[in-house]
Amino acid sequence: MNDIPEGELRIESENDIVAARKVVRRTATAMGFGITDVTRIVTAASELSRNVYQYAHFGTMRWRFLNEEAGVGLELVFEDSGPGISDIGEAMRAGFSTSRGLGLGLPGVKRLMDAMTVQSQVGRGTTVKVRKWLRRSYAAAITSGGDPPQG
Amino acid sequence: MAHEDISVIRLRDLLLVTVPPDPDDQTISVLQERVLDAMARQDCRGLVLDISTVQILDSFFARTVAETVQMVSLMGGRTVLAGMRASVAITATQLGLTMGKALTALDVDRAFDLLGALPPKGDGYE
Repeated sequence: MNDIPEGELRIESENDIVAARKVVRRTATAMGFGITDVTRIVTAASELSRNVYQYAHFGTMRWRFLNEEAGVGLELVFEDSGPGISDIGEAMRAGFSTSRGLGLGLPGVKRLMDAMTVQSQVGRGTTVKVRKWLRRSYAAAITSGGDPPQG
Repeated sequence: MAHEDISVIRLRDLLLVTVPPDPDDQTISVLQERVLDAMARQDCRGLVLDISTVQILDSFFARTVAETVQMVSLMGGRTVLAGMRASVAITATQLGLTMGKALTALDVDRAFDLLGALPPKGDGYE
């Protein structure tokens, strides 16, 4: 893979949502993800970068090619120092439909990806990490349906 | 994404709009304005949104489309979403998006058939 295996993008305007989609599309396609998975990953990136812009006004998206024991995949990390989420459990439960665009849309994003972790502190900021596996190792696939807890 | 890319074409008594592949929020908002403006100025009975080249449909896009469908409906028209790609349909469903009361068709041709076959609104159809 000659495409950039990792990088960082600043999210500070509406245009950066489109920029995030473009870089994620290019990276996921270069890694060999199929069209449906590329669409899922790009859509997740769009939702999460919009959350950063909408709630925190600025932040970053980092992307990273994963090649580890668990498998080969793509990781996206969205970080901001915005207002934070007071009840992550609630944010993950609330409202199946995100079509009103009022919720954070986190449950929907989780369904599109293989793993998601959310860390947040009120007044300090939010970090959302998502992963999609291109190939999972056999051992990882049978021991967990999701992601091992991240530090 | 240049807004000039969006053209609202009138074909018989229907409006046809082709949505660009990866529209930003601004483009989507402009598209909505142009559609409603054209609905008001021209005597149209409906709108066909050709989304066959659209690669991604996120919550902002879906909400704006749902709103547009509702607004067009208030103005007496019907909206058909035509040509959604399989990958987009899968993703939109898993994300939990809904498109309001939009009708759907496999392609633009079938969308025109669908609207042509429907009686005008206010004719006791609904």
